[in-house]
Amino acid sequence: MAFIKLNDLEVEVEDGTNIIEAARQHDIEVPHYCYHPGLTRPANCRMCLVEPHVFFPPAGKVVPDRQLATGCTTTVRTAPPDRKLDGKYDFIVRTDTPRVKKAREDILEFLLVHHPLDCPVCDQAGECDLQDFSYNHGSGKSRYLEVKNVPPKKDLGPDVLLYSTRCIVCTRCIRFCDEVAGTGELGLIHRGSHDEIDIPRDHDENPLRLLDNKLAGNVVDICPVGALISKDFLFKSRPWFMKQVNSVCPGCSVGCNITVDYKEDGLYRIKPRFHEDINQHWMCDDGRLGYHYVNSEDRLQIPMKRVDGELVPTSWADALNLIVEKFSETDPESIAVIGSAQGTNEENYLLGKLAREVLKTESIGLFGREPGEEHKFPQFTIDADKNPNTRGARDMLKLGEDASLTGEALWNGIANVKVAYLVNGAPERPLDEGAKQVLEAVDFLVVQDIFESDVAQLADVVLPGVTFAEKDGSFTNAKGWVQRIHRAVDPPGEARVDWEIIQQLAKRLGGEMDYHFAGEIALEIAENVPDYQDATHQNIGAGGVNIERG
Amino acid sequence: MVQERRILYEHLDVPDINTFDVFRQYDGYKRFEKTIKEHQPEEICDMVTQSGLKGRGGAGFSTGLKWSFVPRDIEPRYLCCNADESEPGTFSNRYVLEKNPHLLIEGILICCYAMGISTAYVYIRGEFTLGKRMLDAAIEEAYRHGYLGKNILGSGFDLDVYSHPGAGAYICGEETGLIESLEGKRGQPRVKPPFPAVEGLFHKPTVVQNVETLCNLPFLMGQGVEWYTSIGRTYGDTRFDPPQSDPNTGTKLYCISGDVNKPGVYELDLGLTAEELIEVAGGVKGERVKAVIPGGSSAPILTHYELECRLDFTSLTLWKSMLGSGGIIVMNETRNIVDCLLNIMKFYAHESCGQCTPCRWGTPWVRDIVQRIADGEGRQTTIQRPRFGIAEGGRWGDTGEMEEVYEDLDLLESVANNIANVDTMTWNTICVFGIAVSWPAVSYLRKFRPEFEAAIREGKLVTLPVEEATVPPEENYAYQQRIVPRLFEAPA
Repeated sequence: MAFIKLNDLEVEVEDGTNIIEAARQHDIEVPHYCYHPGLTRPANCRMCLVEPHVFFPPAGKVVPDRQLATGCTTTVRTAPPDRKLDGKYDFIVRTDTPRVKKAREDILEFLLVHHPLDCPVCDQAGECDLQDFSYNHGSGKSRYLEVKNVPPKKDLGPDVLLYSTRCIVCTRCIRFCDEVAGTGELGLIHRGSHDEIDIPRDHDENPLRLLDNKLAGNVVDICPVGALISKDFLFKSRPWFMKQVNSVCPGCSVGCNITVDYKEDGLYRIKPRFHEDINQHWMCDDGRLGYHYVNSEDRLQIPMKRVDGELVPTSWADALNLIVEKFSETDPESIAVIGSAQGTNEENYLLGKLAREVLKTESIGLFGREPGEEHKFPQFTIDADKNPNTRGARDMLKLGEDASLTGEALWNGIANVKVAYLVNGAPERPLDEGAKQVLEAVDFLVVQDIFESDVAQLADVVLPGVTFAEKDGSFTNAKGWVQRIHRAVDPPGEARVDWEIIQQLAKRLGGEMDYHFAGEIALEIAENVPDYQDATHQNIGAGGVNIERG
Repeated sequence: MVQERRILYEHLDVPDINTFDVFRQYDGYKRFEKTIKEHQPEEICDMVTQSGLKGRGGAGFSTGLKWSFVPRDIEPRYLCCNADESEPGTFSNRYVLEKNPHLLIEGILICCYAMGISTAYVYIRGEFTLGKRMLDAAIEEAYRHGYLGKNILGSGFDLDVYSHPGAGAYICGEETGLIESLEGKRGQPRVKPPFPAVEGLFHKPTVVQNVETLCNLPFLMGQGVEWYTSIGRTYGDTRFDPPQSDPNTGTKLYCISGDVNKPGVYELDLGLTAEELIEVAGGVKGERVKAVIPGGSSAPILTHYELECRLDFTSLTLWKSMLGSGGIIVMNETRNIVDCLLNIMKFYAHESCGQCTPCRWGTPWVRDIVQRIADGEGRQTTIQRPRFGIAEGGRWGDTGEMEEVYEDLDLLESVANNIANVDTMTWNTICVFGIAVSWPAVSYLRKFRPEFEAAIREGKLVTLPVEEATVPPEENYAYQQRIVPRLFEAPA
């Protein structure tokens, strides 16, 4: 630990911390553009200039250094005892002197000379560093009379547009593609004030390669200004009209921390949220752009039952009574309950409780999305398991590692049952012929789902459940991190939160369940499921709890 | 009359000196042979330090000190010879490359032997096609005669030299820009620290030296430190001399161009005054000197009042200018300073690498302002300030005399100072390119302000007589500040 003097504060920071981070830890803002904690530091924006102090032998005292230094590349280290400043400090730095303020104002003036100032029509407005720092540190007037550069707007790839006029050439996006994605599609063309970010092009300006990798969307997040824009979000909403909750991406078993931006009428955007051990600052485009199913018009909104081979809408009471009737008259050994790797720990725990304590059956399976492809990048991995909670569901349902989501084991397990209760909840889940035959052979199939999926098509009763954005709970990722998801929007129509449906069923079957919110179930999980003793909602917080670390 | 002292250029005009055999006849490679026979690498470094040799590329940094920063325990280490000579007004390295490339190779050999380097790169300006051809031929000859390659002269010392042409970017003459370019990347300077001596080419310790510096080494080693330190003017005969502790030894290849009768490269002792230099170059063409650029176009300009200034690395710093690469451009009374500045600013705006904010967008801005002034569209207002402030008992309507305000001149100075501040000698940019832009801009403006004002007032470029165009010494910031050398004085 280095003992530094930061403005008037005396603080301890770890060796190797740069000034921006050290200041951030103590709520002092050092404005910056090119610096991003997940990337290398080119120090090219010159916005983070701070004033280090050095010992000046002729004067025999510590004085402000002649040159300002960039806060991003200036790191603090413990100094040897004879090199301490003022006898005790390892480093002295000020971020609030007139010199620093003047430098910030000057740099901002340069940044804005070619900027189009088109904030009224810019997607970034409201969450733009250029706006915020100009507001906090900039000058109120412009002295620039010359003609502004107007570089062209560019279509970089499937989801990314570049408004070159707004670009401040901080090169975060280039460094991201080089370092994190390892794909290197982006580069600088031209020189000097004509610098432009671009993809490789031939002499006729036709792209040779698009910004088309599974991490491309991150460049939009890290762009400190409105230059890189997601086509998905373009002109959809002003940022300040959206509300935001923390959640976890349901796209795969990595469990990237995300924020969900939503309004009354649905989700608008998903952005990654920093988690040091899971996704750092990033997420993949599958997760980022994969939220549209939540807003879909085709969502199941009302319970349905099969009458004369057709699924017809019915009431919750009717649907539940029908199920209770079938469960009651069936031998427990002929009942199978199949949980979902898309569901939360709380739902799966209740489902397991329903099966073992109420229905007295041990035929418990696990259902989920088909495995996809694994993608490895230099600093990021997208898992092959496309379910957010495979591990948690196994733990909750007390299934072994071999509990299969697909394939023989699951279908063999329910081959001879008469009544099956299957929870799906996946945006898409195609069934192969073998699986269809098995499910068709089940006398009475209850499916709890969000779409009229392949499984729902075979059901006798369909119960409308909800997506990750409409419920509270927790997911356990492949590495054992238990993390919270939060409800953002209301379920569509009469759809109900999955654990409430399960609780309703259990109650009607005579089980004792009386939970009022998901956190209550988590408290019980903490008591009953091994390794989950710390995984109460209170403990999980925003950072998650790792069950492997005990 | 000062005489030329030809050391580096002594045999430049010998026919076929570029061939190995002729070069051998003129002591070629013998100094290197003597060096590896008589001296250990550490001794050589000490000798270079004692000689006071300063890097001739522009910054004038002590070569021995630079070598001492190179960690000896990290392998491999590299030498980059900077032959990307592209500062406007500078053309001395070019003749070494074109006429006497073996001298450079001998310098490289001595440097590499001293530093334990076995790979050297010569980064040649792309436009020097002849120079590159000559150097490549010389390198080949040196290999053939066993002066390059494995186990040179049976000493166990290996050295490979590669030449690499640049692609025409001025910024690749900056040492870290050069290294980036050599690594095959965009030529953009790196953030320092780490300095190249610690982490340079391919992230290994790298010595970057100018051609001229390396060419000094054979003579230094051949004739000894004492001889070398005896060259250069002794100090104490003018009022504004730098302290003896920072000697400027050896000769310098001064490239004199512009309005002189005999322009060209002159090898002269360091420490000559500008007056003497113009005299050596045949005197000024035309009636009189109006201004002198002392060190390539990036150096602040000197007025005719400042010609007593010594042209060496230390003195010029005290005069708030720099020797830089030694490219001296003399201007006579017919030259318009606004036009000169416009020309220089066009060059720098074009050559800015665009990496960091102030330079990327500040340089073209400065150019545009100067362009506007030169086009006669500079802004000027006449204002009437209150005679007294309200605090001093002044009242509304109590106005003073009409006052001319040249807004664009203030803007020009302010913008240039925001890139790199002339008064505090600091810069907000990554590399010193920012200085190369702002120092000329501010110095031209401050020292020849009447001519700028005239351009705005008249709406066109007006070349004033020398006396009228120049700010008198008592108003000249550099002239006034030079007597109190801030660099050597402890602040209160």
